[in-house]
Order: sequence, then structure tokens, then C-alpha cells
Amino acid sequence: MTSEPIIAPAMWEKPDRSIGAAEIITTPSLTYWQDVRQRLWANKPAVVSICFIVVLIFGAVFGPLISPFSYFEQNLRLSNIPPVFETYRVSDGAGEDTRFFLNASNFNLYQISEGGQVEGLLRGGRKDIIKKSQSFEFGATDIALDYSSRPARLLRADGTELRPEGWQWNMTYLFGTDQLGRDVLVRQLYGARISLLVAFVATLVNFFIGIFYGGIAGYIGGKTDAVMMRIVEIISTIPLMLYVILLMVVLDSGLISIVVAIGSVFWVDMARMVRGQILTLKQQDYVAAARTMGAGTGRILTRHLLPNSIGPILVTLTMLIPSAIFIESFMSFIGLGVTPPMASWGTLTSEAVETMRAYPHQLFFPAAAISLTMFAFNFLGDGLRDALDPRMRR
Amino acid sequence: MAPGEILGIVGESGSGKSITCMSILRLLKSNGRIVGGQALFDGQDLMGLDENAMSDLRGNDIGMIFQDPMTSLNPTLSVGEQVIETILRHRPISRAEARKRTIELFELVRIPSAAQRIQSFPHEFSGGMRQRVMIAMALSCDPKLLIADEPTTALDVTIQRQILLLLKQLQTQLGMAVILITHDLGVIAEVTDRIVVMYGGMVMEQGSVAELFARPRHPYTQGLLGSVPDLRDGEHKRLTPIAGTPPDMSQPPAGCPFAPRCVHAMNQCDNAIPPLYEMADAVDQIARCWLHHPEAPRIAGINVTAEEVA
Amino acid sequence: MAGYVLQRLGQMLLTLLAIATLTFFLMHAIPGGPFVSERMLAPEIASALNDKFGLSDPIWLQYLNYLRGIVTFDLGPSFRYPGVTVNQMIADGLPVTLRTGLLAVICVVALGVPMGIVAALNRNKWPDTAVMMLATIGVAIPSYVIATLLLYVFALRLGWVPTFGLDDWRGYILPVLALSGFWVSFVARLARSSLLETFEQDYMTTARAKGLRPGQVLFKHGLRNSLIPVVTVLGPVVANLVTGSFVIEQIFALPGIGRHFVLSITNRDYTAIMGITIFYAALLMVMILIVDLLYVWLDPRIKLQKAAQ
Repeated sequence: MTSEPIIAPAMWEKPDRSIGAAEIITTPSLTYWQDVRQRLWANKPAVVSICFIVVLIFGAVFGPLISPFSYFEQNLRLSNIPPVFETYRVSDGAGEDTRFFLNASNFNLYQISEGGQVEGLLRGGRKDIIKKSQSFEFGATDIALDYSSRPARLLRADGTELRPEGWQWNMTYLFGTDQLGRDVLVRQLYGARISLLVAFVATLVNFFIGIFYGGIAGYIGGKTDAVMMRIVEIISTIPLMLYVILLMVVLDSGLISIVVAIGSVFWVDMARMVRGQILTLKQQDYVAAARTMGAGTGRILTRHLLPNSIGPILVTLTMLIPSAIFIESFMSFIGLGVTPPMASWGTLTSEAVETMRAYPHQLFFPAAAISLTMFAFNFLGDGLRDALDPRMRR
Repeated sequence: MAPGEILGIVGESGSGKSITCMSILRLLKSNGRIVGGQALFDGQDLMGLDENAMSDLRGNDIGMIFQDPMTSLNPTLSVGEQVIETILRHRPISRAEARKRTIELFELVRIPSAAQRIQSFPHEFSGGMRQRVMIAMALSCDPKLLIADEPTTALDVTIQRQILLLLKQLQTQLGMAVILITHDLGVIAEVTDRIVVMYGGMVMEQGSVAELFARPRHPYTQGLLGSVPDLRDGEHKRLTPIAGTPPDMSQPPAGCPFAPRCVHAMNQCDNAIPPLYEMADAVDQIARCWLHHPEAPRIAGINVTAEEVA
Repeated sequence: MAGYVLQRLGQMLLTLLAIATLTFFLMHAIPGGPFVSERMLAPEIASALNDKFGLSDPIWLQYLNYLRGIVTFDLGPSFRYPGVTVNQMIADGLPVTLRTGLLAVICVVALGVPMGIVAALNRNKWPDTAVMMLATIGVAIPSYVIATLLLYVFALRLGWVPTFGLDDWRGYILPVLALSGFWVSFVARLARSSLLETFEQDYMTTARAKGLRPGQVLFKHGLRNSLIPVVTVLGPVVANLVTGSFVIEQIFALPGIGRHFVLSITNRDYTAIMGITIFYAALLMVMILIVDLLYVWLDPRIKLQKAAQ
């Protein structure tokens, strides 16, 4: 303090405070929903999930319409074709080449075009059961399929082994075919249609029952609430899956049964959540204010209570969808789901499990589809929760 | 600070009082960071101690009481256990002895039927009782320094007084130093010896209670005093609040943090942070304001008395 | 405490009665009765069968008989397997189901909680990211998909473990992993967020301000409080492990109750379906009661509320 800095006299002037510097608002204020949208868009996994879900819905709705195949059409001569195969090329000596591939699990040869289209099963000579071989004629060239040892080999007449020329993606059946020769891709998309339909309808049913039940219990409160919640408590003591299974046994499998079974059981969580929300919100001052101004029950419920609990409701809904998808596929998996030839991801998976050893691709696609969808809805739900209530973010 | 002294730290919400004290004990949460500076305790710089030595010190030499007794006690452990574990951590005595000591402490802070109450859980206690438990906990190892971070803010007005008097009395009885953080000037005036006025994380003014209340030398202190009702004052003066809100200290301003709200603000205030000036005519008073620069314009009530101007 | 347990037991009995009634009438609401669905039976054989199983009695008598059976722990004969009682089916499958279920619960606690702790202590560092990624995968992928994929990779491709059966300990690995996968992930996520929340609590600062050692702070003050939400979900965990076992036992061909249950569904073996449902419900309620008692012990605030009721 002994060495005081020299300060210019101008510095002792009053500063210009015309803009009201004390109350500068640094960031523009946003409405709640703008804020939510901004936070949601900033959440990469959630955005990717939304894109995925939109693509999935489009695929499920329009895919089966565009596809040249139908989900029930069988072609037993082209069964169990993989999505990717190793191709061979054989010349018939007259300048014509034949491209084909070997299905290593059923020892069939399939002819394919240059573009990778599957053109049909190649007919060979008689199978020699003892030597485990079969001969194929391509004009002047003879090829023997020797499957006495694994992996099977293709031998030319002089005994040298025919080498594959490279890998080729199946352009006819992008995901291959199943054991009845049905296109896996179209069944997959059709399965998506069923699974999503069940999920959305069941969730919607849950939503309405849950809101109605929970809203009434929470709003009326007192004895009504106690009785209604005791019922919910009893219902939730038993695992809901047991109910669904019992209902499915009674109702017989089918699409509507699944929706009814899931819809009639899974509203419990929603009802609880809505009730909790309503109970807390009911005590807020603005509700009391609305009541003192003479607003009726219906108005308070629809204008004040429900809009303010929309956030948690939305989150619960997004979380209900994957669990509905899960339950549907679970039911289908244990044989209580949609009836064949209809397909859902669950039936596809359970069909594929039977042939898993030989044709893992049939398992891979439905498993991947359901897992990715569950991921997407989970991420979306997490993202929504974070966006709606930043305090809950951890 | 001298032993046996009570230091008050005042300032409005967000002015950095609690953060300062949390930094002394190095208890900042994960989003806090200590940039520099030192805190000397018994000639030792607390900032230089390792975590082990620090935790030996906490609860032992320095006790701390927090703002909200409702949330500062662990709800799943009995109140007795929470005091006992503190004693066992710092004193090489048996559990039974620690228990006995806890009962004594509970009696000291006047919790009725202490022997039974040590088995109770925090939710069975009222706010005032819980704060007494907190005090007992802070005193359990005879600390040399007790830091009380707004110990009465979360309590009923009637309880506030009881707790304050208890603190004051315990302080005289046990002879430790106390740092009392508060935004309640009434509390300060009543209990403390010396005051530190903080704003924007910085000490704005410091001095003895008598001098500082009689003649505040910083515009902020004046503003604070002006915004408190004086009930002894017969005439009904209109209270003068300080306009605006404290600055966002995650982006500290270049100059004096109070400048945007100060009625006497000058260009220099926006330009640089003022140093602490010692007052020539007071014993132990310092203020951080450019107006105390020898060349600064004279303003009545701050760097000149009203009489001098007249 | 004793009063609370008694009250809960009473509630359990009431719930069980409701479940028994519901299952009974649901099963009897199936049109045509159990013997109509698949094979065409000669009328005389059908009526003889109906007589044998008491199905020609008026429904209220059947209901009362059924209830009496439940009270005396007699769930009646199987409709499909002559000479086999539902009791035998349960006794047959119970050891397997209990063993895998118990191992799965242990897995959930012994893997999920430490994973959550590690993630919370290393927040936003690589162990956290790793645990959370694993947990997200575990939560999103359905158990039967995990089971089939595990089976494909470890049993069929790598041959490390048998594809089915429980002849040695390695047979348990995949079923238990598949069964507990979801809940390990769920508990890890829950424990993590719960711990992080606890770390922010004022009493954690108090504990540190008292000079307690970091270990004491974490285990005595942090963990105990953050485990409360974990314990609350253990009830549903047990419930879901049981329902999960239906499909897991099916995939791995384990001779447990779940497999019997799925088989009786495909066979439309109504007494077996009813009996196993009720047995499951009872088992679950006992489990949930145990979990609730644990909860009361962990969180003293609960004890008071219950006593006050």
C-alpha cells in the first residue's frame, strides 16, 4: 500500500450504467419445452435412437409392401440360404460360365447370377451314399461334391480341389431364407410390424387405464385411494408375466389376445406413477389458487394436474414400449404368441434357435433387431428423462 | 484468529462465505477446486497438508456445524453412534468410554434424558435437537476451532436464539475460537467480536463489531446495514435494499465484484480489483474499496465523515 | 416387529386366496373344458375323465375342493400325465429352479453392487464407462436372446461348457449368467446412481468433516444409505428371476419348475398350470416378505412408520 499505483483522473469518473448493468440477463430465456427439445437434441444416443425408431417404423410399414416376397410364401427348394456365401465359378468348356455356391450345411449347390441373384438349385447326379459324394455336370466339366469329411470339398475330375473365387452378398434374399425358404428380411420387417403394433397398442391401453385409475385415486384420495391402491398392491405382488401367461392360455394365442393380455395387466406401474404425481402436485400452491378461483374438478385435473405430470408420464410410456416388445417376444418365444405363419421377433428367434447350430444367421437377425430396438427405446427414455428433468441427470 | 475469539462472517447468499469455510477444511464437492492461497492453522498451512493429516485434523482440532441439521445427520445411524464414531476416530479410548463421553456431551448441549436419547435416530428429533446433536458432534474432541456455517438459518426463530446462546455459552465455557457464518446481521451484532464482510468470494471489509457497525467504510457494508430493520429505532425508516443480484462467480468480473451494484461505482472499479486499505482512524478495520485510495473523490460516510464534509 | 410380520402374513394369505380364485375361474372359463381342445375323445371316455377329475361337479364344489386342496398342500393330479401329481412335478423341479435362482440372486448382489460402486467411485472415467456400457447392453437385450447367444458362442462354437444339463458346475454358468444378466445390469445402474446421489448428501460432508477415514465414510455412511433402493428392487428381482427361468430352463433344457410350467402350457395341462402358478405366487410372496424385513432393518425410518400404522 506504500507503493500506490498511479491512477488516471478519468478513472475516478462515474461509469456509464445506462444499460442497467446490474440486471443483464446473459442467456435468452426459453420455454420449458424449447429447453427440453434443446437438451434432447444435444443427447447423441437419444437422437440416433429417434432416427433408428423412425427408420424401423417406416421399414415395418412399407417394407413388406415393397418386397417381392411375402412373409408366408414358402419355397422349399431354396430353404436355409445364407445371406453371404462363397462363390465358385466353373466353365462348361463352350465359353459359358456357371457361378454357384455351396451351402455347407445341407450340401446343396445353388446357381447364382453375376449380380449375386440366387437363380435356383443345381441338379446333380445321384448321391453316392457310401462314398458320400455327388457329381455335378457343367457342360464338359464334371465336379464332384465330396462330403465325407468336413468341411465338404468340391473336386474336379482330375482330383484337384475347386477353389472359391470370393465372397458375395445374397442379392435376392438379403438376409437369407429360413428353413421353409421364406425370405428372412421380409419376415423380419413383418415381425417388426407385429412387435411394434403390439407394443404401441398395449402401451396406449396401459396409458389410458393407468392415467384414469391413478388420476382418480390420486385426486380423490382418502378411503377411495386406499382401497384402489390396495388393489394395485395385490396385483403387483404376483409377477405380471404370470398373469399374462394365464390370460394367454385362456384367450388362446393371437395378436389381439396379446394386446389384451399386456394391456390389462401392465397399467399398474403407470397408475402408481400418475397417482404419486397427482398427490404431490395436488398440494402445490397453484392448484389451491385455481381452486379458490372456483375451478372445477375436471378443469383442475385436465388443465393443471395432468399437464404438469406429463414429463414423468412420457418417460414411463417410453419405458413401457420396450417392455411390451419384450413381453410379446417372450410370449411368442415360449409359444404363446402370434400363430404361424405370422411372424414376430419372438417367433423368429424361437424358430431360429432350433436351427441355430447349422444356420446361425437366422438367429442373428431377429436377435439383433430386438436388441437394437430395445437399445433405442432405452436410450430415448433415458434421454427424455434427462431432458425433462435435468436434476435427475447423474 | 485468537483462541477464544468469535469471528463473524457475513454476506448475502452466494457471496462465498460457506465456500471459504469448506475450503479451509478442504471439503469442497467434486465440482469445486481450490486455485490458490493458504489457510494457516497453528502455523500450519492446511492447503499443504496431505489428505491423511487433514482428516486427522477434521473433527479433532477443527469442528464444524452445518446449515441444515435435517440433512446433515445420517438418517440410518443413531445419533449416539454418529457422535461415538467421531470420538473413536480421534481418541484411543474404548467404546464404552466414548459412549459415556457422548452422554456427557449431550448433557452439555442440553438434550434432555441424554442417556436414552443417544439410541434415537435423527428423524425422531426436532430441528433444534438435531442441531444440538451436531454441536455435540463438533465439540466431541475439544476442537480449538469451531466453524458454524449458518447454524440457525434452517431453524425456527425461537429455536435460533436458544442455539445461539448455547453456542456463545459453550464458547466461553470451553474457550475455543469460533467462526460464525451467517447472513443475519442481528446474530453477528449479538454474538461476535470481529466481523468479516464477504462479497463475490472476497473479503470486502473487516473490523471489530463496534467499529464496523458504528462506521462502515465500504459501500457494500453500508448497503447491508441499510437493508436491516432496526427495531430500536423509533422512526419508521424505509428499508433500502441493494439493487441487483451477486455476480456469477464462475465467470468473475475483472474489477470489483460489487461495482455493478454500487452507487459510488467508478471507472476504476470496473477496471481492477481494489486492494484492502487499512483505516487510519480505526484500530483494526480494513476495507476493499477504491474510495480509500488517497486520490479518490471524497464521499461522505465512506472516506470522510459527514462532519468533515460540512 | 412380530405384529408387522403377522400383518404381512395375513395380507399374503388374502392375496393368495385372490390368486387361487382368479386362476381357478380363469382356467374354468376356457370353453369346452380341458379334454376338448386337441384329441377328439369318445363321449363316454370324456365323461369318465370328467368324473375322474371331478369336473362334472357343480363349479362351486370344484372351487371349494380346490381350495381345500391348496390348504392341505395337495394341488391335485396332472391332467396330462396319468399317475403324476402336481406336487410331484413341483418337488421334482424345485431343487433345480431354487439352485439356479439362488445363484442368480447371489450373482445380482455380488456382481451388480460392486460394479455400481466401482462406476460411482470412478465417475466419468473409464471403469465407469465400461460398467455403464455393459449394463446398458444387459438391460436392453432380452434374457432369452442373451441365453441363445451365450449358448451359441460358448457351448456350440467354443465348446467351453455343455449345451444342456447340469451334470457338473460348468452347466450352471450359462443359465445363471443369462438369468441374472438383466438384473446385474439393472442393480449396477441403480447402485451407481444411488451412490452418486448419496455422495451429494449433506451427511456425507458431515462424515468427512468429522475426520472419518475414506473407507468409513464410504462403507458406513455411503453404502448403507445407497443400498436401500437396491434392496427395494430385490423383491421384484426375485419375482422376475422366477418368470425369467421359464424360458431359460427351456433353452438350456434344465429340468426345473419353469420347464414343467412351459410344458404344461403347451400341453394345456390345466391342473399343473394352476398348481404351479399358485406355488410360484406363494414362493414369491415369501421372498418379498424376506426382502421387506431386510429393508426395515436397513432403514430405521420405515420401522417407525409401520409401528405407527
